[in-house]
Amino acid sequence: MIIENYQHKMAAHCESGSITSLLNHAGMKITEPMIFGISSGIFFGYFHKMKSFAFPTFIVRNKPGQMRKNLEKRTGVKFFTKDFKNQTAGQEALDLLISKGIPTATQVDMFYLDYVPSWERVHINVHFIVAIGKEGDVYKVSDSYFPKLVDLPVESMNKGRFAQGSMSPKGSIFYPRYVPETFDYDKAIRKGIKKACFYMLSLPIPFLGIKGMKLFAKKITEWPAIARDTEHLSHEVMKINILLEDQGTGGAGFRFMYATFLQQASEIINKPELKDFARELMEIGDGWREFSLFAAKIGKNRDLGPDKFKQMSDLLYQRAGLEEDFFKRLSKTIN
Amino acid sequence: MKEKDGYSECPEQQVILYVEKEDGKYGAMQTGSYLSANYIDDYFFKRRNLEKALRERIEKGEINAIEYYMILEDLTISELAARAGIMKWIVRKHLKPGNFSRINESALKKYSVVFNVSVEEVAGRQSGNRK
Repeated sequence: MIIENYQHKMAAHCESGSITSLLNHAGMKITEPMIFGISSGIFFGYFHKMKSFAFPTFIVRNKPGQMRKNLEKRTGVKFFTKDFKNQTAGQEALDLLISKGIPTATQVDMFYLDYVPSWERVHINVHFIVAIGKEGDVYKVSDSYFPKLVDLPVESMNKGRFAQGSMSPKGSIFYPRYVPETFDYDKAIRKGIKKACFYMLSLPIPFLGIKGMKLFAKKITEWPAIARDTEHLSHEVMKINILLEDQGTGGAGFRFMYATFLQQASEIINKPELKDFARELMEIGDGWREFSLFAAKIGKNRDLGPDKFKQMSDLLYQRAGLEEDFFKRLSKTIN
Repeated sequence: MKEKDGYSECPEQQVILYVEKEDGKYGAMQTGSYLSANYIDDYFFKRRNLEKALRERIEKGEINAIEYYMILEDLTISELAARAGIMKWIVRKHLKPGNFSRINESALKKYSVVFNVSVEEVAGRQSGNRK
């Protein structure tokens, strides 16, 4: 069966997109940027040496699952969430919910999703999709990175849901079990912004928030020494562009989507200053995009000398300085 | 970013970008992936070269098929061990080029699930029967 009245929509990001679609389906009129902003999704973290990553990498959003928790606290929405140890039980639970007409989000390793083009299929355990139907041995899936509904064989779905490794999905499923008729937008938006400022400015961990950006700026010059060869280095440098632009961020590592949130929030809570912050963040985002396009270009041209890494480092220090100032002022304004 | 600056032609990979519309409002636009539109050939060029180089390393006895897939799929030893449910020190042992034939069927099956290929494909890669 297929849940006919579910409206599939592309979104910038898989988790905020899945949440938005599920809440819209449940009758709540809310946008993806608003979900992202209220749940303090904007973030930065740089990982130079981690057992689970083969090469240094970075993140631009908060921890998977955190968005839902923050949203529950700030809007009163309640999600049913369940993890599974047993694959059969996990599949039966998902099938039962679909048969009851409940679109259900599930966490998967993107590598096992047959409908994803080969060049995008990487082992990443934190992709979110919504199962909206099942016919025979094939699920009908709403994946916010794709323009249309897609088919996913049961076997692939199970491989994706029960992949092991860091941040393993554990077959996790969720759907909204309670959606309030209304909630205090003013309070939720302020809380969301305050927490985002805290994440960016005050976490006492040297690789997270603005500190993480500065660490990235410092360490990126070491990348050539870590890479296997020039083509590997080129691949990793070009991945900067994927992480900032292509892998579900709405562009510029979520900065454009957060600017959209600030613009929408300005009208909802009648705080015109937020519009200026939105414009400023859009410009900061333009700088991030310039950085990611630069990375793609030098990667393609194999123009990977120390001067280019110094240039990338300078661009990153510049972003860090601008964002530090931005979030400090935003924090003061919203308090 | 202005809406006109976000546009890329790539039907194979569509993305959502948040941009400034003509009326000054920020909102979503659906467009092609800039990277895929402009640089996808380079991705496949590097991929082919990496596969070739790894195949040659198998032939020379420098690595075995497990390491071939581990590198191709960007996994570390820790991550591969966690994903396959095999202890790290055993994975290290399995990665030694000469030890491939000593990997038992059950472990080979676990690795092949992680790599999303059949056991036969892994074995074929080792023996050079797959190009």
